[in-house]
Amino acid sequence: MKMTPAIVIIGSIMAFWASMSVMVIMPAITLKVEPSEIWRPMTAEEQEGYRLYVRNGCSYCHSQFIRVMDWDLGAERIAQAGDYVDRGPDLMGSKRTGPDLSQEGGEHPDDWHLAHFTNPRNTSPISVMPSFAFLGADSIRKLTAFVQFEGMLMADQRVERQRHWKEAALQTYGKDLDSHVQWLHAMVPEVWRPMPNPYPALEADLARGRKIYQQFCIGCHGPVGDGRGQAAGFLNPMPLNFTVLRRHLVDNRYIGGLLYYQIMNGITGTAMPYFKKSLESEKIWDVANYLAVSFIGYSDANIEPTGIDASYEPRWQNRFQAPDGQGLSDERDSVGR
Amino acid sequence: MLTPAQKTNSAALAFLAAGSIWLLVGTLYGLVSAIQLVAPEFFNNIAWLMFGRSRPVHVNTVIYGFVINMLIGCGLYYMPALLKCRLWSETMAWWSFVLWNLAVISGPVSFAYGYSQGREYAEYIWSADLAITGAVVLLAINSVMTILNRKENFLYVAVWYFVATFLWTGFSYPLGNVIWHPSTGAMTGLLDSIILWFYAHNLPGLVLTPLATGAAYYVIPRVARTPLYSHTLSVIGFWTLVAFYTHIGGHHIIQAPIPSWMRNIAVVHSMVMAVPVFTVLANLWLTMRGAGGRVLADPAGRFVVAGSIWYLITSIQGSAQSMPELQRVTHLNNWTIGHSHIAVLGFVGFIALGCMWHVLPLIVRRRIYAPRLINMQFGLLTTGLTGFFVVLTAAGLIEGHGWYNGETVYRTLAEMPTYMGLRAAFGMSIIAAAVVGLYNFCMTVWRGEPFTPEYVVEPEEDL
Repeated sequence: MKMTPAIVIIGSIMAFWASMSVMVIMPAITLKVEPSEIWRPMTAEEQEGYRLYVRNGCSYCHSQFIRVMDWDLGAERIAQAGDYVDRGPDLMGSKRTGPDLSQEGGEHPDDWHLAHFTNPRNTSPISVMPSFAFLGADSIRKLTAFVQFEGMLMADQRVERQRHWKEAALQTYGKDLDSHVQWLHAMVPEVWRPMPNPYPALEADLARGRKIYQQFCIGCHGPVGDGRGQAAGFLNPMPLNFTVLRRHLVDNRYIGGLLYYQIMNGITGTAMPYFKKSLESEKIWDVANYLAVSFIGYSDANIEPTGIDASYEPRWQNRFQAPDGQGLSDERDSVGR
Repeated sequence: MLTPAQKTNSAALAFLAAGSIWLLVGTLYGLVSAIQLVAPEFFNNIAWLMFGRSRPVHVNTVIYGFVINMLIGCGLYYMPALLKCRLWSETMAWWSFVLWNLAVISGPVSFAYGYSQGREYAEYIWSADLAITGAVVLLAINSVMTILNRKENFLYVAVWYFVATFLWTGFSYPLGNVIWHPSTGAMTGLLDSIILWFYAHNLPGLVLTPLATGAAYYVIPRVARTPLYSHTLSVIGFWTLVAFYTHIGGHHIIQAPIPSWMRNIAVVHSMVMAVPVFTVLANLWLTMRGAGGRVLADPAGRFVVAGSIWYLITSIQGSAQSMPELQRVTHLNNWTIGHSHIAVLGFVGFIALGCMWHVLPLIVRRRIYAPRLINMQFGLLTTGLTGFFVVLTAAGLIEGHGWYNGETVYRTLAEMPTYMGLRAAFGMSIIAAAVVGLYNFCMTVWRGEPFTPEYVVEPEEDL
């Protein structure tokens, strides 16, 4: 084939236009997308927040679509074409250094976002997200509005749930800490309350719990568990001081089930998120044991009722004294009884 | 008397110089970004260095500033040389240079203040989009007119690629940047992603690849001192590139809810990209057959050959990654970042540097100041990029498999610091290569030993 100037120049242009008509013009003509059932337009403030999202490169670390295989995210909502109507640019994203945000709305209350945007390490100790304090309070408010919009009508329900429970939490929190803790415990289903931590509190368990605590909890609850972590000042209600729990044991002996349930499910309305998507069962029990031993000074680890012990668990006897000083009556050997 | 702007090859030299400088600037911004992935508060609340702003400066400066500048500079020399004539308008080439580099400067300036269109690879603001489009149109006119005014009847393959780059990009760039919507530079809804990734894959496909391929086609036969192996393979490689590459942008969003016919087209064409890749590589490598020692002993030739090997790796990866099964694990994580680095710096960057070191002495009529510094640059770059690629690929597999196994992003994040630390360290090796290169470039221009290049017969082909 002789490559003359005419062939090179005209041929190149024709070849490009041929593909472009397939890959751009054809979709432009044929793509008719109806809004999906969760779609709603952005408010003016959310729109401004989205502009900030676009201009500050948030999309380099956060995607805007949940895929079929994203079962870490629960995949309650797989992205659909109709979710993106009117959004320009739509910024699907190409990298997840941080989590997908397409269903982020209502996952956390606004005060959590204020703490997090001001310095992400406040709430998420190992985050590598930049601090956005330099943008100023007004811009952080707009960004928060946009993030709370993510997920549209599905997010609106979650935001409403956050609002509902925040109101409820603030009622007792406004009175005094003890009635607040009583309310929190009353919100845990009855079967969870008289439940001891089924794991022994061996050194290895506590070390695992400590690591989890440092990666997930320390920003709000602080290094000594007094609820005065670096995020605390942003949050209302403030994170719990675990020491208070010493006078709120169930039947003066159980605390494991309460801790487990609240770590697993979070306390919607407050800044306490659920951790059940990130932490599996043993890790939650470990962190519950860690904060019981370290900050409450008492753990119900491995006390009655128990079943058949797991085969790998070494012999361990709980020698913690319950706070009333009477000790635990069911001293037992963890292999046989 | 000639003004500097009319001096033969002065614009080519300007493009080469700009490319050498932008390599250093672009990689420094890369380091700024990389540091924040391991020490997020290193530049805490310094707005203009914040990750979301420094990353696009890095990406755009390396792509538009370094590789494209340098390869245009090479082409502005080799195209007239292959056609045995002068560039049609040196002044027009200077205007292209000014417009193009104004756009590149707009990156660090405008992104720093949060003025970005935010679409990956299409971040430049509207006025910069206009400048780039203008530069491309001028380069297209200049190249076409040079071809029409040539003294050598035969059009060598490097010339096809060089002129076609601007003919394609003249349409692709304004379209992909949605230049008719100045405020957002975007369409709305899914169509925006479809157009964005059509363009974003035409950036490597119809700008970087043809420029680098053209440069390799120029350097290899000259350094090997043999004619090109096959004209037929050149023809196949050229036409299949534009036919296939333009269809594959959708493989970036096959996991997003785009129409399935677009996914199918994207995957199929990603697979048949084997045709342009292997024909070009076979053609280049068979040209070297029997002269491999000579090519590898030449500092510039070594760069180009290494670039062709990176091309092989990145292309095999690129095709494989488009397969939905593999992409479940490799998409959205550091695997992709490793891939894009060996594509832009490995394949295109190595060939750009090789061709630059080859043509620089011919342009300035001075010998390379220190050939050993070219070899040092080669060693630093190869070390940095290889380490980079291994580390990022490993990190990507950890993330991808973790997520696919049900771990959240926050859990895999805890595994990253080691890899991100190593990545920043290897990045410093790349920056050192940029420094050495810039020094050698300047010293060659100012202090290189003057010589008169021997008349070299340009590569001939069987027709």
